[in-house]
Amino acid sequence: MSRVRSQKAELVIERLGKKLNRQIVGSLVACVHCGMCTDACHYVLANPDDPSYAPAAKADKLRKLFKRHYDWTGRVIPWWVGAKSIFTDEELEDLKDTVFGKCTNCRRCSINCPMGVDFATYNRMTRGLLVSVGIMPEGVAVVSKDQWEIGNQMGVLTEDYLDTLEWMGEEMQEELDDETAIIPIDKEDADIVYTINPREVKYDPRTISDAGKIFHVAGANWTMPSEGWDMTNFGLFSGDDALGGSVAARVYDKLQEIRGKKLVISECGHGYRSTRCEGPNWAGMDIGFEMESSVITMLNFIKEGKIQVDKTRNTTPVTFHDSCNNARSCGLFEEPRELLKLVVTDFTEMYPNRAENYCCTGGGGAMSMSEYTPQRLKSGIVKANQLKDTGAKIVVTSCHNCVDGLNDVIKHYKLGMEVTQLVNLVANALVIPEKKVVPVVEVAEAVVEEAIAEEAVEAEEIKKELVLTGRKILIVDDEPDIRTFFGAVLEDNGAIILEAGDGDQAIEIANSEKPDLITLDLSMPGKDGGKVFEALRSNPETERLKICIITGRPELRKLIYDQELSKPEGYLDKPVDEDTLVLNVRKILELS
Amino acid sequence: MHEISNQLHFAEHSLQEVALIFMAIVYTLRVVWLVRFKAGKERQPATGLAGTTPRKGILYSWANIAMPWAMESTRKNFFIYVQFAIFHIGVVSAITLSFFIPYAPNLMANPVLITVFQISIGGAFIVGVMRIIRRSTVKVMRHISTPDDYFSLLLLTVWFGFAFFAVPNQPQNGETALVVYFWLTAFFLVYVPFSKISHYLYYPFTRYYFGKSMGYRGVYPMVRKG
Repeated sequence: MSRVRSQKAELVIERLGKKLNRQIVGSLVACVHCGMCTDACHYVLANPDDPSYAPAAKADKLRKLFKRHYDWTGRVIPWWVGAKSIFTDEELEDLKDTVFGKCTNCRRCSINCPMGVDFATYNRMTRGLLVSVGIMPEGVAVVSKDQWEIGNQMGVLTEDYLDTLEWMGEEMQEELDDETAIIPIDKEDADIVYTINPREVKYDPRTISDAGKIFHVAGANWTMPSEGWDMTNFGLFSGDDALGGSVAARVYDKLQEIRGKKLVISECGHGYRSTRCEGPNWAGMDIGFEMESSVITMLNFIKEGKIQVDKTRNTTPVTFHDSCNNARSCGLFEEPRELLKLVVTDFTEMYPNRAENYCCTGGGGAMSMSEYTPQRLKSGIVKANQLKDTGAKIVVTSCHNCVDGLNDVIKHYKLGMEVTQLVNLVANALVIPEKKVVPVVEVAEAVVEEAIAEEAVEAEEIKKELVLTGRKILIVDDEPDIRTFFGAVLEDNGAIILEAGDGDQAIEIANSEKPDLITLDLSMPGKDGGKVFEALRSNPETERLKICIITGRPELRKLIYDQELSKPEGYLDKPVDEDTLVLNVRKILELS
Repeated sequence: MHEISNQLHFAEHSLQEVALIFMAIVYTLRVVWLVRFKAGKERQPATGLAGTTPRKGILYSWANIAMPWAMESTRKNFFIYVQFAIFHIGVVSAITLSFFIPYAPNLMANPVLITVFQISIGGAFIVGVMRIIRRSTVKVMRHISTPDDYFSLLLLTVWFGFAFFAVPNQPQNGETALVVYFWLTAFFLVYVPFSKISHYLYYPFTRYYFGKSMGYRGVYPMVRKG
């Protein structure tokens, strides 16, 4: 008696046939199960006793299906060649756990396969098949929805994006003491159209102002688009080519609309790969303009003498982590090193490196799939050992996903390292040209003017320092030292501080005081941060209170993000320095 | 030259020729099947350092198998790479033998050639045994292996064993090894297109496309420094 197949399984099989191309079919038929790819995978290295992590084993999950339905031997004698069909939604769920949860699509096994089997490419295709029938991790669904509907993968609203650019423009002006230092929006006929990762807007706006500073000092004719500014693309992770094409086209179309000459993509591995390499294929567009990574742009600025850098400003020992998408799928590995050596004094290479580097563990959209966090962090031991062996204090990378992935690994394995990007180092090393010398005859007048200006700056600084005046902030953390530190920093900026050392106390104070902002730790004895968050969001009295999660245990994020509640207004990883805390609090409270 | 039995003559000639024709037809069908799938194209401008081109990528990719230093997997597992080399040299020798014996028997009177064949085929036999042990004892290998993987390996190893004894081509001392070797060769030719052994048919394709893409994207030829 033939088994009944679920509608989703039926669709997956049918759509598999439509997705096959020569490269994929070649990869599906050519594997000889030699096992040479096994040690190439960081999941295998971290789980040596679990053969289900072996790339060939993971690949076989789709290969079985292909052989059963599209290959001759598998149709006739399936058991002989390991061909097997799929019937139930549970089997599809199991396939999901493999292709999303046990692989970051890093492509390391592909370059280590003697037969040239590109497993990562058809792993992505399998993800796409599952997504097409609605089977995917919750995080992938949420992010894809945001990117389809709002136009960027973090659901940043246009007004928030523009506000952040304005705010960063002000920071630039202040830092450069130059009124002309602005972030131009939608400027037509610009030489450079700069696109970014929404993570920069939400969690790391400093990278925007750093890039802006560099463009400004270089005298570049540049702009940022008001739409189509998100160069990241969740289609790469979800395997959804339609989403991939749509997102890429938004970026290309906007550049063409404002007649930009060159698209510069900020430091983001998957964004660079999606926009620069895969986007034209997904969108079916032939691109008539230049596209490059901001790494290349910054390097050229230095080479062409448009900016000067002083590497002695970056003396802490650094190492460089190659993003898989940059290095293994786009050949971008020499330029970042060349740039890095120009802006730091102490660089140590990581082993292996370039196209052979190991994944940060956050690739393939893994950061958005909290259900797989434990196994992801376990696989991070490979990266942790690699990092530790360098002896460096700072890891530099050209990818936002890698920043988050590496931060998780560093915290989990207590490596005590920092992660930064090239743009931050270049900005720090940037030599700001001195202003024109004032002629002697005008000295007296200039001195008076200077004094007035200094007074204005001081007044501005006092005003800025007290930017949180009157704001009530509840700090929830079980560690007294943290409460004291956060409290002191925020109080110095004018805030009124309330403190809670456990969950129950936090809920009580939140109910009675209705603070403007709650900073919430996740790991606490008794009622943890997840439960506090749920209680606050479920109570009509407190559901609108602004909450910023501040945690040293990122693996607990699922306590928050797995809940069907409106998301917190902010998120920070511990340790948090003074500037970051104040910047983020200001951002959440919308105080420029 | 010693007279051979009709049975051996049939195995050496008619049987082989039919099996070869069958294999050629099935292989042709297989290649046609493969090329009927549309090849994916890259629209984007090339990336990577100057000097990395699709052509270089393809050549590098094809040559990859002869460069054990090129991939981490072969660098780290050099002993397995050596086994791979011995095994495949044995395959080439045993196939060549199936042409030399029926069509150029005089060559097999050369003792040096006999020694060369026996060393290469004997080495492949030993590697075959080692591979069977590895496939059946290493956890991950067992996990990924299908009946076809075991059978193909066993078939080739047994084939090497009989080829080893068939090399001297001395039917006057007994035809068993020769007859079994040629029947196994014929079976091998018929079975191969349906088994994993046909991987060598796909190798040029997978390596071509992977190399082309990696060359276009500036990854191949691989750069290793530091």
